[in-house]
Amino acid sequence: MQSGYEWDFGVVLQYREVFLRAIGTTLALAVTIIICGMILGLVLYLLRANTWRPVYLLITAIVEVLRAVPPLVLLVWIYYCMPILTGLSLNGFQTGVLALSLYSAAFYSEIFRAGFQSIEKGQIEAAFSVGMTRTQILRRITGPLAFQRIFPPLVSQCVLVIKNTSLAGYIAVAEILYQGQQISIRTFRPLEVLTIVALIFLAIILPLTFLANVLEAKYRKKYFG
Amino acid sequence: MAASMHGTQTTANALLSIRKLRKSFAAIEVLKGIDLDIGRNQVVGFIGASGSGKSTLLRCINFLEEPTAGEIRLEGELIGFSDRGGKHTKLSSGEISRQRRQMAMVFQQFNLWPHKTALENVMEGPLIVQKAPKAEVEERAVGLLKKVGLEDRLHSYPSRLSGGQQQRVAIARALALQPKVMLFDEPTSALDPELVGDVLKVISQLAEEGMSMVIVTHEMHFAHQICDTVVFLDQGVIADIGPADHIFGGTTNKRTLEFLSRYLERNG
Repeated sequence: MQSGYEWDFGVVLQYREVFLRAIGTTLALAVTIIICGMILGLVLYLLRANTWRPVYLLITAIVEVLRAVPPLVLLVWIYYCMPILTGLSLNGFQTGVLALSLYSAAFYSEIFRAGFQSIEKGQIEAAFSVGMTRTQILRRITGPLAFQRIFPPLVSQCVLVIKNTSLAGYIAVAEILYQGQQISIRTFRPLEVLTIVALIFLAIILPLTFLANVLEAKYRKKYFG
Repeated sequence: MAASMHGTQTTANALLSIRKLRKSFAAIEVLKGIDLDIGRNQVVGFIGASGSGKSTLLRCINFLEEPTAGEIRLEGELIGFSDRGGKHTKLSSGEISRQRRQMAMVFQQFNLWPHKTALENVMEGPLIVQKAPKAEVEERAVGLLKKVGLEDRLHSYPSRLSGGQQQRVAIARALALQPKVMLFDEPTSALDPELVGDVLKVISQLAEEGMSMVIVTHEMHFAHQICDTVVFLDQGVIADIGPADHIFGGTTNKRTLEFLSRYLERNG
């Protein structure tokens, strides 16, 4: 190496307990956001698909705004502006959950829409013709079918959510990137710190996508041989 | 006689009775006033060119399409609407589901659920809709799949079955509901010619057993063989109706004869 930079991970690794706690915070954020975002996304999709025009337009507008606004703006806005406007103030973690759930819900709802629209009308008619109700059809036929088809984009969206949790560091939530920056200020080792941050994200996300690929291959083989 | 000649004389115990039925899609009127009675244990065939309204009529019967005007009754019960107080108000979706269970539909494109095996496709209706005990449903489903000649494909997913096999599963799925009438919407139109025979054989067997059936078909030879009554639809009206031998032999109706001669030209 000609650069003359001497890598030193030793100093940084003294802070491993801080990193471990940060991993816990990041995972807690990600899991909560994924669950809330998916549920909210499904609700947005169902409202948009099944109701009269004013509701459809309202929900469409909400989805479009949430998709277009940068997530960081959403986060800062909820953290600083909402208390001023409504008197309701949330802590950093709650703000992160709310902002990023709303943001990801817009994308989840679009994924659900694509999934449900891809189901052949005939399969729904067949379900009607055996006397199933709308709820039974959603639970037994369209739900499982749509889920199989949207599995890959759904996993991608979850990966994005995990990475977006690092935005919560901006409002001082002690997640991985935020704690990394604190450590790098103390150790003057930003390159080592950021490398470790990247490795931690890889370690979280790669097994997840690997598992997703295995599951996908399994059901493809099962149903479509 | 299976169907009254002009539908004006009401057969008191008709299974299905259709009165002044109209159906429009936007500005296009597809059905322009259909009157028809279908009796129990009868096999009625609908024939006619594409766009004549025969599939729409079938789909109105089990309310996959909502009629624009007129009414359809199954054993006297109005389909899709309540007529209390002389006014037609649409039934709740739960009520409509209950009515649909009595009329099983077999589709041109089979429409099996791809994430369920042959056996699961057949069991789904009785299990989820009728909420019958699983062991009993499974026994019946296996019996039905045996009946359509698929006892060795119980656990196959639809993607592993040929078109003819898929359609026979679809017939078993429809039978599982123990319907009062079976509705077939061009059951062999999507099949390779060599697979048509197996499906027709199953339908013929049902006819022999006295199952009430309404069949939309392009298979004239088949219609002649198994139908008690054949209805020829042309531009949204019943242009000709009568026993199969009449339609395929004795009719003097010009439109029927034209349609049949065009059919013969195409199919030798």
